[in-house]
Formats: sequence, C-alpha cells, structure tokens
Amino acid sequence: MGFSHFLELILIVAILLIVGVPLFGKLKFQRLVEPVDPTIEEYKHLLVRKEETLISIKELEFDFNTEKISEPDYKELLNRLETEATGILEHLDQLEQRRKKKQA
Amino acid sequence: MNDIGEFTLLLALATALYGCIAYVMSARGNRIDLYLSADKTPFIVWVCVTISSICLWKAFLTDDFSLQYVWAYSNRELDTFYKVSSFWGGQKGSLLFWTLLLSTYMLVVYFQNRNKNLRVVPYAMAVMLIIVVFFLFLINFSTNPFERIPLPPEDGRGLNPLLQNYWMVIHPPTLYLGYVGFTVPFAFAVAALISKDLDDGWIRMTRKWTLISWFFLCMGNLFGASWAYVELGWGGYWAWDPVENAAFMPLLIATAFLHSVMIQEKKDMMKVWNMSLILLTFAMTIFGTFITRSGLIQSVHTFDEATLGYYFLAFLFVIITACTTLIIARLPLLKSTNELDSFFSRESSFLFNNLLLLGIAFATFWGTIFPIISEAVRDVKITVGPPFYNQVNVPIGLALLALIGIGPVIAWRRATLSNLKKNFFKPILASLIVAIVLFPFIPLGNRAEIYTYVTFVLCAFVVTSIFTEFYKGTVSRMGLHEESVAGALTAMTWRNKRRYGGYIVHIGVVLIFAGIAGSQAYGTHTEKHLQLGESFEIRGYTIKYEKLVAIEATNIKTRIIAQLAVERDGNRYWTGHPEKEFYKGQNQPVSEVDVLSTWKEDLYMILADFQEDESATIKVYVNPMVSWMWTGGWIIAFGTMISMWPDRLEQRRRLDRIRKQEQLFPSPAQE
Repeated sequence: MGFSHFLELILIVAILLIVGVPLFGKLKFQRLVEPVDPTIEEYKHLLVRKEETLISIKELEFDFNTEKISEPDYKELLNRLETEATGILEHLDQLEQRRKKKQA
Repeated sequence: MNDIGEFTLLLALATALYGCIAYVMSARGNRIDLYLSADKTPFIVWVCVTISSICLWKAFLTDDFSLQYVWAYSNRELDTFYKVSSFWGGQKGSLLFWTLLLSTYMLVVYFQNRNKNLRVVPYAMAVMLIIVVFFLFLINFSTNPFERIPLPPEDGRGLNPLLQNYWMVIHPPTLYLGYVGFTVPFAFAVAALISKDLDDGWIRMTRKWTLISWFFLCMGNLFGASWAYVELGWGGYWAWDPVENAAFMPLLIATAFLHSVMIQEKKDMMKVWNMSLILLTFAMTIFGTFITRSGLIQSVHTFDEATLGYYFLAFLFVIITACTTLIIARLPLLKSTNELDSFFSRESSFLFNNLLLLGIAFATFWGTIFPIISEAVRDVKITVGPPFYNQVNVPIGLALLALIGIGPVIAWRRATLSNLKKNFFKPILASLIVAIVLFPFIPLGNRAEIYTYVTFVLCAFVVTSIFTEFYKGTVSRMGLHEESVAGALTAMTWRNKRRYGGYIVHIGVVLIFAGIAGSQAYGTHTEKHLQLGESFEIRGYTIKYEKLVAIEATNIKTRIIAQLAVERDGNRYWTGHPEKEFYKGQNQPVSEVDVLSTWKEDLYMILADFQEDESATIKVYVNPMVSWMWTGGWIIAFGTMISMWPDRLEQRRRLDRIRKQEQLFPSPAQE
C-alpha cells in the first residue's frame, strides 16, 4: 500500500467517524424541532408586522416632513397605520394573555 | 498529489450525496441524530474540495504536465501570476473553482444558520448540497481536471494570450462570486416552499447574501467590460455577446428582486412574485453556465471543450419544473390579503421598475437564444446583433432611468398630485436647464443622438432628484435634532443605510448611463497606414508615428511596440505605446492597446499592423465619457458597502423579538 492509498484510507475512516458518531451516540434531545405551534408562528409573524408598521409610521412622518405627502393624506395614512399597529398590539397582547393563562 | 486531488473529489461527491439525503430525512423524520450527522457534511465537502483545488494549483505551479488540463492551459514560461489564474482558464478548472466557491459559501451559511430556524435550514442545506452534487458529478465523471496524459510532454500548450491579463485574475472570480452567491437565497426560497414556512423569514435570512451576490455580479459585468475594452482591441466594451448577456440577465432580475422584496417586507405582499424572481435569477445563472459550456451559441467566451450543454439543460429543466411545481402547490399559502394603497406610490414605481427590468431581461434572453430557435425551426442559425438589442433595450432603459429619478420623490403608500408637482419641480427644472444648455452643442441627426440627448436630460433629472432627497432629509434632521449639516447628513445616512446606500448606488448607475450614452453616440475613430515620422489628426489631437521597437520580453513572448506622440495645440501632450505581442506556439498575435483616459474622453490606440520597412497601421478611437462608467462602478461599490454595513438597530430589533418570544415560549426561540 502506497502513501497516497494510506492517506485515502485515513480520510475515509475519518469521514465515516465524523458523520457516524452522532448516529450512534446518546443525545439529549430526540426531536429536531417541536411540532409547529400555530400560536408561536402567529406570535412571530405579528412581532415582525409590528416592527414593520412602526417603521412605516416613522417613514410616513419623514415623508410628511420632507413634503412628499399632503397633510390630509398624512393624517389619513397615519390613522390607518396607527389602527393597524393598535390591532397588532392588541392581538399580541391577547396571545400573551392566553399563553400566560395556559402556563399558570 | 494528483491522486489525492482526484480522490478527494470523489469523497466530496459521496459526502455531499449523503448530506443531501441525511438533511432531508432529518427534516422529514424530525430526527436530530440524522441532522447532527448531516450537519458535518458541509465542512467535510469544503475540506475535500479545497484539498482538491490545492492539488490542482500545485500541479500548475510545479509544471506538472502529466495532467491534461495543466498541459492545455499552462507552460513553463508562464508567469506565476497567470499560473494561479490558469486554474479557471478552462472548463474543467472553472467548474472546480465554481464548486470551491459554492462549498465555501455553503460553509459560511452553515456557520451562520446552524442554530437558527431548524425547520427551514436543513432543506436549504440540502438544496445547496444538491447543487454541489451536480457540479461534483460533472467534475468526477465528465470533465475531470485530474485526467492524466500517459506520456507527459516536456512543456505545456500555454494559456491563451488573451487571458494573460491582470483582469483574468479579477473578472472571473468576481463574476463567479456573484453567480454562485445566488445559490444561497435560492436555496432558502426553495426550503421555505418545502417547509411551508412562507413568511418573510427567508428574505431576512438571505438579504445580505442577495446584496453581496448582486454586488459581485454587477462588478463582474463591469470588470468584464473593462477587460474587453483594454484587451480585445476593438474600441468597445460591450458587444451583446451571448455570454455577456448571460451575466447581464441574472443581474437585471436580481435588481428587480432587490426592489420588490422591500414591498414584501413592508406590506407582506408579492410573495409569489418575489419567490419567482429569485428562482428565475438562479435559473439564469445556470443558463449562463449552459451558454458557455454547451457550444450551441458562438461566443468569444465559450470554452474550447464546451460539451456539457445537455447536462446543464437537464439540470435547468429539473430546477424550473421542481420550482414551478412547488410554487403552484404553495399558492394558497403565498396569497396576500394586502393591496397597494395607491397607484401613485413608491410601491407602484417599484412595480414598474420590475416590469421594465424584466422587459430588458426578456429581450436580451430572446436575442441570446434566437440562433438556437432559428436553427431548430428553419435550420438556419440567425444571430441577432447589437442593433436588435439597442433598438429594444435602449427605450426601456431610458424609462428605467426616469423611474430611478421618480422613485425617491414619491412617498411610500400614497403620493398627492400637488406634492408631486412640488417635489418634481426641481428635478424637472434641472433637466430643462440641461436640455436647453446642451441643445446647441449636441447633434440630433439620428435616433442614437436623440437617445443620447434624452439620456443626459434624464441623468440631470435623476441626480437632482437624489440630491434633493439628501438635502431635504438633512434639513429635516437638522431641524429636529439641532445637528450640523455634516452631522445630520452622516447620521441620516447611517441610520437608514439601506435607503441612502441605495441612492448612492443609483448615482453610480446614472454615471454608467451617461458614460454609455456619450461613448456610443459621440465616439469617432480612424485607421491610417503611416511611415515613420508621418502624422494625422483626429478630433483636435495630432498623432505622430515616431518609432517601432521589437523586444524579446521572455522566451515565448515578443513585443512589437509603436511609439506615437500625441500633440494638442502644438504641444506634446502624451506618448502612446500600443503594441502587438507574439507568443510562441500561438497563431494569432495579441493587441495591447494604449489608452489615455480623461474625464472628458479616452484616446484609444491600437497597433493594427506593421511591415518590415517599419511602416505601421494605426487605429485610433476617441471615446467620450468612458471613464464615467468605471467611476460609476466604484460609486456603486461604495453605495452597496453602505447598504450592506451591519445595522445595529436592526440587530437590536431582532434580538428583542427573540427575547420576547423566549419569555413567552420557554423552548429556545428560533428565527
């Protein structure tokens, strides 16, 4: 057996060991992911939407300050975004309350 | 060493194949043991491909001509610098280089995301590994760079002289970094479709990757143009060559994606559109490799051994079919309930921009594949040239340029007519002034000249619109925060890097438009056969042929250099040295042009021919505003850097989200 063949053998054994050990070792957890909890997914989604709505409000203010939008439109859109943000916050609040009750 | 290189390629293939299967099985069976096993494979694949690449580089550097690939693309006299770049000079090495970059990207993605969304990441890694498997399969079984020659020759055939240019070290890797980079957002998009995790999480996870890939593809295109300009010696930088088009199309679609994705983030809509755009971008990168490696379409970029077309075509077919099926299957989940607030809004301008970008991409695609279609239908290969592309793409390009100026002025969600009038006043005024000032000086005799005139006017419109945006933002911030001009400008840009970085990129794009318009419409050239001491004039320059020198640069390279004195207003202004290089064993000499580049114009000189009596044929081009394009490229690089710079506010928001989630749901929160 030449040196290169020996090296090849070492590489094969090393790779088999690296990928094989997790298959035969004892693991703390058995499942990769917990089953999808629609509440968590909704909560995650709402957190992102909340952020985006708040950013949109800031941008709307910026657009108004730089005279890109008229005052009536600004007020209407601000009202709409604030309503949207309030809705999201209320929804988040409901989810939090429901979760806390469940935990209690 | 070659044995090891070849063997590690096989090992990489086997490991990648195992990784794909194990990742998918771990996700489907929810098995952490399989996931942990699969999770080792990206690193192993990277190590194997890196070892293999090092072996090939070593073969080049040690002149190991027992390898057919090294023999074909190198020789003993080749500069070390080019021996390194010969690695990707041919098809076999370029595929290995592609795989090296892909496995490196995959490794970075692996380190970035292994503890994040475990519903999506295993599928994303599996998709990337499938693509790696495809390339490794080709390298191992169809185009192996470690193929041996039974009786190794004393010396190699040498690298094509056209590739012996410093751009060879810069342009292909840059372009490949762009091409390969789009694998990452593509993989996450497919993973989101498979795992049904279809909110904008995949977009957030891959936003930087998309931007980096876009940047490299953009710079790759510009570097390619620059290389063509200084090396091919025809006075131009873009010829609508099929392979140039192949690199241009994904750039256009990715640009559309970068814009439309903002609407999804803001309004949670256009999910199908964005999904389709990123899948199309990736498909176009594979189409690009198909063009260079199929031999079906003639191009200066086509590899000598372009025989892999059918593999790439089959792969392309699989990708498109699988992705289309997935999108259709997930349509109910991709539907959005939100709508655009108004037709007059920035969102609408982004939509128009998408349509225009796709219009240019489609026209370019049609022109590129037309020879294949015409041959299939009428048995005659009809190639469409620059007139077709210019006729279709220039008007769409001008509409796109106008939109770059309109976008910043319009508000998100809704714009009012009275405000539009007020905000458009300055940009329109600036463009009118430019139109009036330029009118007496610019010829308007043909369509190209009219287009150029319109381009300059629109450039003024866009630049004014962008600077007004910076000005208004700075003034507004100064009023709110009592800051100095510089402080307000810096803080405003820094707090909204994406927006203002984007505006800076747009300024770079404007310069590129202006450079293309100026150089295409107002350039001139002449060709003269001169005896020593003779001279001629071109656009105010007097060119005097002074001498012809022959230099034996190396054992294989002879340089014939013409010395040309350039005079302006009777004074010596510059001395040009265009040359011809002759390489041993190569039939065709290579022209090395000499260029005097200024902000106004380039004086571009070529030694076209010479005789034994030292007379020479000299070709001179005067190309206005070419340097504007290269400057535009650097400005794009600067703007992209600002856009990509890590945003602490965004990171803080992300951590805040995770913290809130962890508080409420005790299991580790994953994003």
